[in-house]
Parts: sequence; C-alpha cells; structure tokens
Amino acid sequence: MNRESLLIATLVELADNLVDDYDVIDVLTVLTHRCVDAVDVDAAGVMLASPIGELQFVASSSESMTILELFQIQTNEGPCVDCFHDGLAITNHALSESDGRWPLFTPRALALGFRAVHSLPMRLRGRTIGALNLFRTHQGTLSEDDVIVAQGLADVATIAILQHRSSLDASALNFQLNNALNSRVIIEQAKGMICQSTSCDMDEAFNRLRAHARNHNEGLTTLATRVVATSIAPNDLDIWVKTIPE
Amino acid sequence: MNVQRLLDIYAIMERLERESAEGFALCAVAAEFTALDGAGIALMSESDALTSLCTSNFAAGALMDLELTLGEGPMVDASRGDAFEDTDLRETTSSEWTIYRSEAVALGARAIFAYPVRLGAIRFGALSLFRTSPGPLNAQQSSDAYLMASVIGRAILAEQAEGSLVGLAGELNGESMLDFWVHQAAGMLAVQGSMSVKDALAFLRARAIGVGSQLSVLADRVVTGATRFDSTTREWIDETAVGHYER
Repeated sequence: MNRESLLIATLVELADNLVDDYDVIDVLTVLTHRCVDAVDVDAAGVMLASPIGELQFVASSSESMTILELFQIQTNEGPCVDCFHDGLAITNHALSESDGRWPLFTPRALALGFRAVHSLPMRLRGRTIGALNLFRTHQGTLSEDDVIVAQGLADVATIAILQHRSSLDASALNFQLNNALNSRVIIEQAKGMICQSTSCDMDEAFNRLRAHARNHNEGLTTLATRVVATSIAPNDLDIWVKTIPE
Repeated sequence: MNVQRLLDIYAIMERLERESAEGFALCAVAAEFTALDGAGIALMSESDALTSLCTSNFAAGALMDLELTLGEGPMVDASRGDAFEDTDLRETTSSEWTIYRSEAVALGARAIFAYPVRLGAIRFGALSLFRTSPGPLNAQQSSDAYLMASVIGRAILAEQAEGSLVGLAGELNGESMLDFWVHQAAGMLAVQGSMSVKDALAFLRARAIGVGSQLSVLADRVVTGATRFDSTTREWIDETAVGHYER
C-alpha cells in the first residue's frame, strides 16, 4: 500500500471507530502502528498530561518493557517533555553520546538502538495535552511531507481523546484525559495478572487482551477491568495469533 | 510541569498536621486546596457500599449523611466510575436523584462536584466538593480537583498498607504517579497470592517499606521474577540477592 492509500485507510478505520463507542487506548494504539507504517519510523508512542501536567505513557506501537521504559524516563526528561512544555515540534533530533540535552534518556535510547527522535505536540484550542513520539533506529531525516503526515496523525489522536464531547470546557477535557490515563493503568494491572497466570511476557499479555477484545467486540478497557475483577480468567482469553489486523 | 500545585497540597497537609493533635484530615485538605465550601470523602467497601471517611464541616457532613441514607447522589455515581458535576442544583434539568437535589439545596449547596478516587481498576471511593453559589469550576479548580482525588487515592493506599499517613507527603513528593510496572507487579502479585489487585498493591507497598526499598524498585523485581510471593507458605521469596534493590 502506498502512503496515500494507507492514510486514507487509516482515516476510514478511525472514522468507523469514532462513530460507535470506542476505546481510546485501542484507537491510540492503532494510530501509533499507523505512524510506524506511514512515516518510516521504528516505534511510536503517545503520552498525555496528568492533572499536574506530568506526562504519562498511554499507547505505543510496541508494548515491550524496554520501549515502555523509555517513555517512563520521559516523565522526567526527553524530547516528549520538551515538546510538551514548549508546544513545539522537535524533528530530526539525532541522538549522540556527546549530546548532553537529555542525560537520562539519550544513553538508554542509544543502548536500545535508536538513533533519531521526533516529538509532535498534541494541541487543542491553545492547550497542549500531550505529545506523539517517533523513534528511529537509523539516522536520516524525516522530510517535510513526513512531518505533515505525522502531525496529521497527532491531530487525529487529539480528536480521539475527546470522544463524544462536542463542547469541551476545561473540566470536560480534564475528565477525558483522566479517563484515558486511568484506562492505561487498568490495562497494566490486567497485563500483570495475565502474565502471571499464563506465563507470558507483557507484550503477549497486551496482544492477547487486545485480540480478545476485538474478537468479542468488547472495549479494551472494559475487558481489562473484567480481568482485574476476576470476572474473566486470563486463561479464558482468546489466544493471540499474529495475523490479527492492527 | 505544574508540580507546584502538588507541593501546595503537601504544604497544607504539613500545616494541618502541626495544628492538630490528631493529624490532618484529607477532606480538610481538599476543601482548602480547591477553595470550595466543603468536601467529603467516602470509601467503598468490598460490597460496593459507601461509608464516610471524613467531611470538612457541618454542611459537608449533612450532605454525606443525606447521600448515604438515600443511597443516591454524586458520590455514589462517581465511586462507580465517572466524575460528575452539577453546576446548579436548583436549575438542573436532570431527573436523577430529585430527592437528593432538593435536600442538598435545603442544606445550602448550590453546585456539587464529585470525582472517583481510584488507581486503575481499583476503586477506593469518591471525593465530593460543594459550593454555596452556582456555576462551573474554573480551569485551575477543575484540574486541582482531579489532582486532589489522585492524592487521596495514594493516601488511602498508604493507610491500608500501614495504617498511618505519617510521612505520606514525603513519599509522594517527586513520585506523584506510580510507575507503570508498579501496576503490572500488583497484577502479578494478585495472582501469586490469590488476592485482589487492591490488596496486592497495599501489600506490595507494605513490603517495600518493610525492606526499606522504593516501591518502584520492588515492583521491578516482581515483574522480572527476582522477587515473588509464595502462596503456600505466605512468604516473600527473593530469587536473587536483595542487595540489588536498585534500579
């Protein structure tokens, strides 16, 4: 699929999702996968601001512990934090040992094989609510077109956070952000239970949760809540097979 | 980062702690911090019933009693999931809790705001705030209310793990939100020890304090399998040396 068709397919898929009740973490996860496909990056992730304006990880194209750790470091420092605070995109920042800008983030990212980072603000009516991170394992620059496409996906992600609210005052926005962040915590709790019960890793636990939610047309967060409440046993979740559509 | 507001909460806690022999009450902190006319905090029992933890003044206490007696109202709804606000109890068009609304107005409340107190799927209860005049919260008050609800969640967790709020401000300082692997570890521990995730989180926190470790460091050990809980002996097992309580 070329990029234009990919983008159209993404928008159609999202429009479908955004009409019915949808799970915001699921939609954001789809978006991060689309970023990886459309903009030639190796990993993508969304971080949203908590009530104190601290960034929290909510969705990424890979659930591996190491990637999540990178996001965690960024609650203190990193491209995402800078992008969020200044409300300005950071593009084509090459990581190097000698770069002292992010002393915790850079060595960790380099150790994981990442060579360049980009971070795009998620803005809504003058307020920055989070940022979209893009990591690349090779040097080389994102073109102006790439940046426009990625910013477009970041804007779609912003709309996804709003869910069904047409009017959005500060308290409604806080409500939505808070729900998205809490959903993520529910998913982490459920992942822990699935890992322990089925002896899998966190990546597989997430994929299994997601596959089951899709197969049974259930919201990801709703299903995770049921796992935590032990109203569904982890072993009864559908097995994840790699062919599920992203 | 607006960490200043979090520090403001600690400053109120510390001042109230000094001023009272019994220590600070969370609802007094909430009322003062959000600059509203009163606050109440209700806790949820295993059977989903609410009980009062504290109220900041007489009117807040009367509103709490009213809600618990009727079994309906903003906190009952908020404790089950979503935040709730009614910016004018007199002019509302909602047909929900009509008895509660008219009684609440008689008690002097005009606007009421309620927030779930939760950590992921763990539901601790709800925070309610009221004002004697109508109107929405401003942007600062709204984000303050969410922040306060999240601090209350951590405080209740601390109380369940240890039975004391002493030193809570120090612990929360610089660690407002829990690392994601703390939640993963709580999920794993729940399965290992056949307990609820809520109990597992309190248990994990108590263990961290017991061995003098940071919660996030102990959680990392649980996630990587270095430390586990044995369900038959009911004991913690360290598979690797605990000298590495450092991330």
